[in-house]
Amino acid sequence: MKIVKTMLIPVVALTMIAGSFGVAQAATKTVKIGNIIPLSGPSASVGIQGKNAREMAVQEINDAGGIKSMGGAKLEMLYADSKSDPTAGVSAAEQMINSDKVALLTGCWNSAVTYPTTQVAERYGVPFVVPVSVRDTITERGFKYTFRVAAKDSWWTRDQFAFLKDMAKETGTKIKTVAFVYENGDWGTGFAAGWKKLAKAAGYKVVLDEPYPSTASDLTPVVLKIKRAKPDVLFLTSNASDAILLTNTIANMKVHVKAIIGSGGGHADPAFLTAVGKNAEGIFDIGEWETDLNKPGVDEANAKYNKLYGYNLSGEAVDAYSSMYLIKAALETAGSTDPVKLRQALADTKLCSGPGSIFAYKCIDFDKDGQNKQAALVVVQIHNDNGTMKRFTVWPKEGRHAGYTPTFPMAQ
Amino acid sequence: MKALIDSHANKYLLAAALLIALLAPQIITSPSIMQIMILTLFFAYLTSSWNLVGGFAGVLPMGHSAFVGIGAYTSTILYLHYGLSPWFGMLAGGVLAAVVGIIIGIPTLKLRGAYFALATIAFGEGIRVLVENLDMIGPFKVNGPRGLLISLAGNSFKDYQFTSKESYYYIILALLLVVLAMTWVLMRSKIGYYLSAGGEDPEAAAALGINVPRYKVMAMAISCFFTALAGTFYAQMFLYFYPKSILGLDMSFEIAFIALIGGRGTIVGPLLGALLLRPLNEFTRIYLGGILPGMHLVIFGLILILVMIFQPRGIQEPLTRLYRRILYRIHGS
Amino acid sequence: MEIYIESLLNGLLMGSIYGLTAVGLTVIFGVLKVINFAHGSILMVGMFVAYWCVTLTGMNPYLAIPIVVPLMFYFGYFMQQIVIEPVFKAEKDVREPITVIIVTTGVWYILDNLALMFFGAEYRVAHTSVTGKLFELPGGIYLLQPKVYGFVITFACALFLFWFLKNTVMGKAIRATSLDRDAASLMGVNQYRIYRTAFGIGTAACGLAGCVLIPFYYVYPSVGLVFDIRAFIIVVLGGLGSIPGAIIGGIIIGVIEEVGAMFMPSTWTELVIYGLFLLLLFVKPAGLFGSKQDF
Repeated sequence: MKIVKTMLIPVVALTMIAGSFGVAQAATKTVKIGNIIPLSGPSASVGIQGKNAREMAVQEINDAGGIKSMGGAKLEMLYADSKSDPTAGVSAAEQMINSDKVALLTGCWNSAVTYPTTQVAERYGVPFVVPVSVRDTITERGFKYTFRVAAKDSWWTRDQFAFLKDMAKETGTKIKTVAFVYENGDWGTGFAAGWKKLAKAAGYKVVLDEPYPSTASDLTPVVLKIKRAKPDVLFLTSNASDAILLTNTIANMKVHVKAIIGSGGGHADPAFLTAVGKNAEGIFDIGEWETDLNKPGVDEANAKYNKLYGYNLSGEAVDAYSSMYLIKAALETAGSTDPVKLRQALADTKLCSGPGSIFAYKCIDFDKDGQNKQAALVVVQIHNDNGTMKRFTVWPKEGRHAGYTPTFPMAQ
Repeated sequence: MKALIDSHANKYLLAAALLIALLAPQIITSPSIMQIMILTLFFAYLTSSWNLVGGFAGVLPMGHSAFVGIGAYTSTILYLHYGLSPWFGMLAGGVLAAVVGIIIGIPTLKLRGAYFALATIAFGEGIRVLVENLDMIGPFKVNGPRGLLISLAGNSFKDYQFTSKESYYYIILALLLVVLAMTWVLMRSKIGYYLSAGGEDPEAAAALGINVPRYKVMAMAISCFFTALAGTFYAQMFLYFYPKSILGLDMSFEIAFIALIGGRGTIVGPLLGALLLRPLNEFTRIYLGGILPGMHLVIFGLILILVMIFQPRGIQEPLTRLYRRILYRIHGS
Repeated sequence: MEIYIESLLNGLLMGSIYGLTAVGLTVIFGVLKVINFAHGSILMVGMFVAYWCVTLTGMNPYLAIPIVVPLMFYFGYFMQQIVIEPVFKAEKDVREPITVIIVTTGVWYILDNLALMFFGAEYRVAHTSVTGKLFELPGGIYLLQPKVYGFVITFACALFLFWFLKNTVMGKAIRATSLDRDAASLMGVNQYRIYRTAFGIGTAACGLAGCVLIPFYYVYPSVGLVFDIRAFIIVVLGGLGSIPGAIIGGIIIGVIEEVGAMFMPSTWTELVIYGLFLLLLFVKPAGLFGSKQDF
């Protein structure tokens, strides 16, 4: 009958837990924002960038006097590490909503985490701002409290194909065959499904459709298959580690295609260019934002960020940065942290100018599903500029980096 | 005399503990603490199920998440596809997991220690890779790496969905009590004696004519059945799961560690392990996760090491001793 | 046709390097009879040590071997002495102390997350003098130089260990302990010293693997996860405790991965490997070169 001894423990544990939470929160003039992002585990790198961008924005907002309509209330940031694990994310959301009494939540980068956490927020009626998570269905469930700033993955694939078509036309290049190589996760398979539809519609022949495990230790076999298939254009969806391996192996194995088109993620990771150097020459990558963006405030924000953290802003970081300003604007409108008012304010807010509007599109402006309908994408080409690898915006044409002519097809 | 004192005191303690467990949700209203308590019970339940084979049969299964996954996928697919209530789907998942457990158990349970552990790791990972690479299994959609989402059905017993945390708490508490009772019965049955004999000294047991492998496979089947029920509970609790969350090594390892830290092969071990590790895990994540990335896991690792160095039999041992001492002191006075 | 030859050669090279990453695990298991779950993390530490060695001094990665390998040996030696030995002593009479598995897991958590705290989460690639250099064979077949060197170093390492275990006093003591620790103790072998040395050799092998991987691979705090499960499979395939087994097992895995991927999606090769592994356990649990007494 050992069973019994156990039961002493919960008693003690429960009283301790209950005691520690019973402390009344002192009422200060702060607005609590809960952020659930991966700070350890496989996506830690991108999670930490998002955290840095948030910190920088909140510091600026607070230094400028906080939320004026709420008597100068300051934003207070709370972070929870999701470890890229949905269970941890859901627990963190519960904790932040119920114990920390956050006014709203942001996160979670990994679609798999954003998906169930937004459901928790919906259940409790707490606004949830998603800076980046690309899975389509996040804003297609009729949720009232979920707002996504970034584009969804069907828009990304749509723009990749639009770019290819425009580029082929502009340079008079014939594109017949395409190859799809993608990480075998939620993100990669979602993109691949979109690509297959678009390729069929555009009349391209798919000569290779190759998922690979994102934890693969060696991607030589994948590259050899690309070599065997001889596609005109190679589409990639890769995380940082595989983007590094693929790029280096493609260069080493002397595989030649007319264009390589990445999907952000690993190709946009600041570590990517330092890791692969000249091997990345000529690769195209789609993203939400670029440092050469011609918009007021962009250079200053990027210079400041680089000074603080040692690397440039990325699309994901900009989304996180702008989301903080969006939240500020909504709080100003609502004048309180009442969830219903705040939700309405978020739905009505259009952030088009002023500090924080360093995104590549015109405005943040939500449709009835909570999707930013203005979210658009840019395509860049990686090019060696006097010894350093840089990303030059090439598409859409009106946003093209002044004086830059894209290399298409890629140099052999 | 001692036994008499023990059994009396145990009865009172058992009753008190049950009462506390039953009343806890009435006292604690914070959903997030409820969430931690539910997860703690969930892991106590899982580890107790694991314990049926991992504790008493003298082997170390490290791939039990495969059976959690079988349970979650079976009940959810039946629910999404045929609208079958997860309460029935849960049993279907349990039976399927038991069958798979027998199939995998017959050849592997002959293996010793490390080999068995590695075989189960490979099996668990194999199942994960399989599900990640399949969009459909026959006519059923498993959705590959994207996992399955169960849509909100409000507060509905038939759909195994509740708006209050309380209901989930009581369900998992009931499951836990069932598996503990099962353990208690099994320990006192012929199977239990044969298993512990086989676990301690397989050669001697075989010499006595006990067919140890057969009883191990039986224990495995029972263990897998109960483990799969936890999968359904997980699916209905979070309403979303995907291969990496429910079929990964993380969960398999966590189950085994809770048992080892608590003390495997005892009834209280898994409970104590879960009561220590789960809240610790949650609180270190909540209070340290945002400060220094990785700090909370360093602390977690340190605690693992310290417990193992000072209490290799798990934390149930000193606590049991302490309890006895208090008991005799009270009785003696 | 060339493409298949190219994939076969690549499988051989990569497989031998996998074998090298598993040598440490097999040595440790052969003597201590425990699965070292910190193996991947120790490999990560080896890679980071090699990375900093190469990046800070700009030296040739293979010249870093005499620095990295001894460093890693002592790292392992003291880790065994301070962290793992107490558990061994507490579990004296148990043949396979399960608790050691938990301790090594604790070490895994600690090492991975300390690396995260100190080095950050970003991926790093060392730009060495051999990085990206190729050997070109007739028929347009390219082999990466660092992989070829890795292949050579793996075999040199295996030969050295083989010689060391056969011909030195320490080596004989290690072999005796791995066969029968009680008998070896009775013969006057200090088993705890043997454990420390074996663990040291295991971590030193990870350091060597680090030097081999750095010129063509990336390193980051969780890089161990890429290699550890594979290393477990390799050592069982080759036979736990067998050094040639680890190398051959690694080559088998490497060839299945590279050549198999030419005929199926690369995600499926993992499944083939797990299936083969389970099949082998049912048919011949001792692996290709293992001793009969362990399973």
